[in-house]
Amino acid sequence: MQFAILLLAVLAIACSAGSFITQGQTYDWYAKQYSERAAALILALHLDDAFHSWWFVLINVFLCINLLLCNVLRFPRLKKRMETEMDAEKWLQSTSGETAQKINRPEEVFLRLRMPKPKQIRTADGREILFSFKNRIGLWGAWICHFGILLLILGFGLGQMTRKQYTVYGVPGQTKPIGDTGLVLTIDDFQVDLREDDTVRQYTADITVRDMTEKTDGEIHSEQAQISVNNPAFLFGMKFYQNSTGWAAQVSVTEAGEPLQEETLCVGEYLAVQDKPELVILLNAFYPDYLLDPVGGPMTVSGQLNNPAYLYTVYYQNQILGMNALMESEELTIDDYVVKFSRPQSYTLIQIKKDSFTWLAFVGGMVIMIGLFLAFYLLPVRVCAVREADDTWTVRGICKKGGTIFREQFARAVKGEEENGGER
Amino acid sequence: MNTQILALENMLFTITMLLYFGSMVLYFVFIAVKRDGISRVAVTLQVIGWCLHTVALICRGIGAGRLPMTNQYEFATSFAWGICLVSLFFVLKFHFSVLGAFASPVMFLIIGYAAMQSKDVHELMPALRSNWLGFHVSTAIIAYGAFGVSFVLSLIFLLRDKVQAGGFLDQRIPDREKLDGISYRSVALGLLFLTFTIVTGAIWAERAWGRYWSWDPKETWSLVTWIIYAIYLHLRIRRGYEGKAAAIFAVIGFLCVLFTYVGVNTFLPGIHSYA
Ligand code: HEM
Repeated sequence: MQFAILLLAVLAIACSAGSFITQGQTYDWYAKQYSERAAALILALHLDDAFHSWWFVLINVFLCINLLLCNVLRFPRLKKRMETEMDAEKWLQSTSGETAQKINRPEEVFLRLRMPKPKQIRTADGREILFSFKNRIGLWGAWICHFGILLLILGFGLGQMTRKQYTVYGVPGQTKPIGDTGLVLTIDDFQVDLREDDTVRQYTADITVRDMTEKTDGEIHSEQAQISVNNPAFLFGMKFYQNSTGWAAQVSVTEAGEPLQEETLCVGEYLAVQDKPELVILLNAFYPDYLLDPVGGPMTVSGQLNNPAYLYTVYYQNQILGMNALMESEELTIDDYVVKFSRPQSYTLIQIKKDSFTWLAFVGGMVIMIGLFLAFYLLPVRVCAVREADDTWTVRGICKKGGTIFREQFARAVKGEEENGGER
Repeated sequence: MNTQILALENMLFTITMLLYFGSMVLYFVFIAVKRDGISRVAVTLQVIGWCLHTVALICRGIGAGRLPMTNQYEFATSFAWGICLVSLFFVLKFHFSVLGAFASPVMFLIIGYAAMQSKDVHELMPALRSNWLGFHVSTAIIAYGAFGVSFVLSLIFLLRDKVQAGGFLDQRIPDREKLDGISYRSVALGLLFLTFTIVTGAIWAERAWGRYWSWDPKETWSLVTWIIYAIYLHLRIRRGYEGKAAAIFAVIGFLCVLFTYVGVNTFLPGIHSYA
């Protein structure tokens, strides 16, 4: 157990290191934040991705081996204890536990200690014994808790190794592939439900997922669902989450009055005009209720579409030509080209994931809780009473984990005081 | 949002704070002048304070139209409520007024911290609108309350030797073995509920963000806290109540609790930064 304590301490230190050092940054970032020496050290020790580093995995592997060995070794011992502790006669031969003599009504002691109805036993030498054992299952508490930790780490680890995650974003009407799964996702509808004060109550998307891989029956299988924050859906064995949202707008480009291209851009996306490689447009940001603050720069006053403005960057012949805000009805002219933004709408970002071991981690969590409950709240208690020659009884009680608190309870119970609160 | 009810809540909160303060002062007087009668008044004030505190939290819940546990103020006041509840339980169950004397400053500090936070009621962002939030936070309050009490008990355990043998306090503080026993029960309650908190938080995160564990600083620190108390349990089995090591870990554990609660929000960024 010494080693277990050491491992747990190392794990705690590793976790806190991982939380203090910002994860996933570059050498330059760390060098700027701390110092060049520290940055080199952080990268050498993989402290930039502590929770996935080889040494973090190693600590957990050691922990699992330790727990497994501990549980394997203790299993037969616990099984044996379950039996030996049921043997009242054997216990009486030892001196362990609390003893009280000259008790006239032992049943009351049992009652006051909240013991189940005692069993009557006759020993080989003809003595009469009353014996009661409660919370025998509590002996397994630590074992079950450790087993739960193993399941949890196993479930988490397998999940990390096998999980797949994709994101799809777009506006209603768009259909996009889901990574390499052969599935496509259509966004049928997307609603942002606002409260009166403009804060968001809920985002809701209606989606259809189609399996585009060849099927023997020639049909295309599809499944539909509505998803919102906190209410994911399960389609084609994967979970679909309404994750976040942002603005999108229609951008149209004409050349000498002839329409060239029209497309929906989400904020952050580029439009590379077909056949015109010299012209690229980026939608940097969108302000539904635009205000140019002289100090703070462009901002939005509300979430309502009162005064929409589009912040764009134009690249022309591989040069940044300009970056500016364009209002709803305004046009941007570059030589023969005219660019216009319109129809602002919310796009949805949908996260799709498949983790076939989440259930195992959760079972682990549940098992840990059951184990802790058994270990802490079902303390095994044994009480037995032996009838002596003078017809009084000698009562013996033991609760190994009860300490002084049990001793006091036992003393109160034999003295006949009211139990207030009972065994916990 | 009901402003009248929130105004009532505000008033009840202030009265509660005054009652807790009064009870703390009386506990100190009890120790200074060594009169048991004073401790009874202190306990009574604490009980009344706790009842009003409960009403205040209910008012906050009605006024905000949701569980009152979603920002720094609400969580801090609930945290103080939890410590008060658990400490009263142990004070009454084990006739242990001295525990109240040690717990009341901790309680008062936390409710004082709550008083310094903004009491504005904000609407919840969609991710927070989940029934799991209720389980997650209410179990955290019991866990934190229990850890707060075990912290106080462990301090008393560590200072037990300094008490003059046979004196007034000596007779009113259980011996080290019993102190350890009570502290163990308190940690046990805390650890069970912290496990609940972590599991319900993970279930909720899985539903809201698609990842049940993402090593966000608050999650990581709740795990660190959990591990520290696991170390406590094992040290305790190994050394028994004679060892101080376990008690020291119970103290460190509560410092981790405080760091998870206040420090993480202040020093480390993450998705939990709203609460
Ligand atoms: C390498 C890892 C670990 C090893 C080898 C280990 C080993 C042990 C051993 C030998 C016991 C004594 C069993 C008994 O008295 O019935 C024990 C008790 C216990 N362990 Fe662990 N343990 C480990 C990690 C953990 C962790 C991470 C937890 C999480 C909370 C935990 C929870 C418990 C509990 C609740 C008990 C019972 C304590 C009590 O009843 O007071 N263990 N452990």
